[in-house]
Amino acid sequence: MEKLVSLDTGLIFWTWTTFLIVLVILATKAWGPMIEALERRQHNIAEALAAADKARAETGEMSAKYEQQLRAGRVEAQEILTEARVTAQKLRAGIEATAHTKADEIVASAQERIEAEKVKAIAEIRATVVDLSLEIAGKVLERNITSADNQKLAEASLRQIGKA
Amino acid sequence: MAIQDHSEPIGTVILHHVTNSDVLWPLSLFGFDISITKHVIMLWIAGAVVLTAFLLGSRRYRRERDPLPTGFSNMLEMVVEFVHKSIVTPNVGAAHAARWSPLMLTFFTLIFTANILGMIPIFDLIPGGGGGTATGNVNVTAALAIITFLAIIVAGTLEHGFIGHWRNLVPPGIPWPVLFILIPIEILGMFVRPFALTMRLAANMTAGHIAMLAILAPIFLLGSPWVGLGSVPLNVGIFFLEIIVALVQAYVFTLLSAVFIGAAIHPEH
Repeated sequence: MEKLVSLDTGLIFWTWTTFLIVLVILATKAWGPMIEALERRQHNIAEALAAADKARAETGEMSAKYEQQLRAGRVEAQEILTEARVTAQKLRAGIEATAHTKADEIVASAQERIEAEKVKAIAEIRATVVDLSLEIAGKVLERNITSADNQKLAEASLRQIGKA
Repeated sequence: MAIQDHSEPIGTVILHHVTNSDVLWPLSLFGFDISITKHVIMLWIAGAVVLTAFLLGSRRYRRERDPLPTGFSNMLEMVVEFVHKSIVTPNVGAAHAARWSPLMLTFFTLIFTANILGMIPIFDLIPGGGGGTATGNVNVTAALAIITFLAIIVAGTLEHGFIGHWRNLVPPGIPWPVLFILIPIEILGMFVRPFALTMRLAANMTAGHIAMLAILAPIFLLGSPWVGLGSVPLNVGIFFLEIIVALVQAYVFTLLSAVFIGAAIHPEH
């Protein structure tokens, strides 16, 4: 039983030797680089998360800004459209009014001219009728003919006038 | 385990299994006996396994700046992270963790590997005595606990200076008559802590093996294979329990070492 707890300096020596060899080799070759990589990865992940949060906040801010701009743009467009409609209406009314006036003027002047032409034509006809009457009367007097001849002559003369 | 001679008392057989072998290869250094025994060989195997595993698994960490863990290195990374983040950092503090993690990792991996190797019966084939659990030997655990003992002093001295470390043994603002009781208690505590580490690990690793052998013993004592119907399933259960014990004891030794070192660095807690 005393073997269970007997002192064994050789075993103590070899435990220290083994421990030190493992410690020195692995501390420099494995654990140092691995712990460093772990720490750096943790740092990188924290940084990446922070950057992602920042980017998300920025995106939200930007989209809000864009939306606001869009809304403002829409309102402005509506305003422009309304204004354009009003202007167009005004313009149309103006054009219509001018056109009416012009048309009235044209009609009025046309009527005036027609009236004037009519008066002139009547005057001309009147003058022509007088001349013809005089001519017919002269011919009638020269030839002394019957009333039937008179009638025929008058008709022929009128026909000639109509041809001319 | 050599049970060729069935006339041997069962107690002797069990002791033969859990204690160190006779000298396999006598050696001495400056008059000290450093002979090779089976526990020395088991210790070497454990050291070789840990060295090989971590040197192979950490190749990419030496070559690349930011290696992504894959497969085997992922598993090793889990061990490193567990010791570094869950054992060392909370007890020693983040500022000192990088300095003390390698020591704690050596404790954890070496003790765990030695514990587990003791449960693999193939090492019985080693000529001259065979396997065994090196960490079940008080000399091994005492040597490890002495490392913790020295590490506590080194940690305190590095942080508070040589005199500062010893002054920290006693909390400040204590009335002087109390010191007559407190100083001996603290000095005693200084030695009790590594002693407790030594006994806890060795006893735990030995007890499991003794229990398993004692449960198997009735098969031979009664000379009936039918006893095995009870003994074997019971031993399978204990074997699984031993796997947990192997892990837990490596964890406890590492954790307590970290706690003691942390206490030397931050005596105010």
